[in-house]
Amino acid sequence: MAVCTGCSLLCDDIEVSIDGRRITKTKNLCRKGFGRYRSLASDRSVPRVDGRQAGIEEAISRAAEMLRNAKRPLLFGWSCSTLEAQRKGIELARRTKAIIDDTSSICQGEIMDMVIRKDIPTCTLDDVRNYGDTLIFWGCDPSSSHPRHMSRFSYFPRGEKLQRGHEEDRTAFLIDIRTSPTAKILAGNFIQISPGGDADLIEAMLAVLDGKIPRVRDKKAMISMMNRLKKADMGVIFPGLGLAYSLKGRMDRMKALVDRLNETTRYNVIPMVGHYNMRGFNQLLFDETGFINRVSFADGVDHGPVYSVVEASKSCDLALVVGSDPISSLPAGIAKALAGVPMITLDPHRTLTTELSRVVIPTALSGIEAGGSALRMDGVRIEFDPIVKSEYPSDEEVLSKILEEI
Amino acid sequence: MKVTIVTFRDIFQSEAQEVDRFGEDYRRMSAVVFLDKSDAAKAGIKDGSNVLVESDNGRVVVVARISEDTHPGLAFMPNSPWSNQLVPAKTDDTRIPSYKSISATISVTDDKIPTVEDLLRELVS
Ligand code: SF4
Repeated sequence: MAVCTGCSLLCDDIEVSIDGRRITKTKNLCRKGFGRYRSLASDRSVPRVDGRQAGIEEAISRAAEMLRNAKRPLLFGWSCSTLEAQRKGIELARRTKAIIDDTSSICQGEIMDMVIRKDIPTCTLDDVRNYGDTLIFWGCDPSSSHPRHMSRFSYFPRGEKLQRGHEEDRTAFLIDIRTSPTAKILAGNFIQISPGGDADLIEAMLAVLDGKIPRVRDKKAMISMMNRLKKADMGVIFPGLGLAYSLKGRMDRMKALVDRLNETTRYNVIPMVGHYNMRGFNQLLFDETGFINRVSFADGVDHGPVYSVVEASKSCDLALVVGSDPISSLPAGIAKALAGVPMITLDPHRTLTTELSRVVIPTALSGIEAGGSALRMDGVRIEFDPIVKSEYPSDEEVLSKILEEI
Repeated sequence: MKVTIVTFRDIFQSEAQEVDRFGEDYRRMSAVVFLDKSDAAKAGIKDGSNVLVESDNGRVVVVARISEDTHPGLAFMPNSPWSNQLVPAKTDDTRIPSYKSISATISVTDDKIPTVEDLLRELVS
């Protein structure tokens, strides 16, 4: 059995047939995961130093030299690396007095911070399968982003205590702006909001819980939803990117709602983490520094928005990017600032970021060519072995070598 | 036509990104904006026509598609380097960019849809 690193569900029931170094058949992968497996053979990155093709060893040495000379390096990415590689990355940040940040800084960081600090209660996806009778997908579209979420864990399965599955024992609501594929599955329980409407919805939900009349158009629907939510034996909220962006800076309102629901029943929160090991990085950095992201080691441990990738892209004098494509995923104005900084990039594939990097170090695709471990979106540790031999080193090996050379 | 752009993730586009982010499939599935039917009719935008989407932050040419569902005033774009041309570089205190609520105008154009390489050239220019 292999593990898919296509998203943070880390499905560990993937069957793979291999002929030599070629994967000939797979079973249980979703479309997204299949894309990841297919990427094994497509558009791999090539080692490069200062604009010309080079050997991997040379690229590693040049990276070490650049890091040694940097005054204010930014080490960014990390959510597509194993825990072992992430640990090396944090060590490298310490050694080079760098700023370290990961993709949670531009997506789920605020809510993940609450989960990791235990400010809001959480549970595992196995708990959801067995006991989660009332679900709220909030600002997410699992059918597209985590295609097997609803079938493996949350909605369709028959759980230990929920033998009648979604037909009778489980109710799921979706709160979102767009009539997404998930909205079509949960059509009867789809609460459509306008952009930025999440905060108002939370206030309306709190109002009903306080026995007041909510200030919404469809009062009856709101009251009936809240009655259902109150009846939960175990409720679970799955906040997605929609909520993360809509409620940024005000995530305490989400906590207020969860706390209020927990006064009468049990509600847990599992953020819909995208990349396969973002949670792993957040947990590791938290264990080491007390912060999940946006840390500077320039002078002891410091944390704050100035160490976010958004700010550091403008102020750093070197960027080491590991398994991420910020030039593609950042707003163009910020990507432009980063493009002006010398970059070293570790990635299995050619990306917009590798195209603009001074040094490119190709790496093995984790889960397929490199083993290790990672934390699933619910914090459960999943281990995996490589299933094919690779000509590329893993992130962990490259980072170890850089550390040796520094 | 004035709209609020909301970005989203599409599974087919995610798959295409996994496989080859420089490929034609990824561009076709990324450089697109989904418009409300009556909005599009009012602005004279037909399904499949090229449109210029402009925000305070930037501009990009993509193809217009008419949604099956109604969503007046809103336009949906898959999250990609194309949509990122429009996301404000300025952030609030949280330093989290506003990927999912961008004020923009949309108009028909004869200009071509940029390739990833075009977007990269723009970045380093
Ligand atoms: S749901 Fe996620 S982990 Fe599971 S097969 Fe699909 S991409 Fe891979």
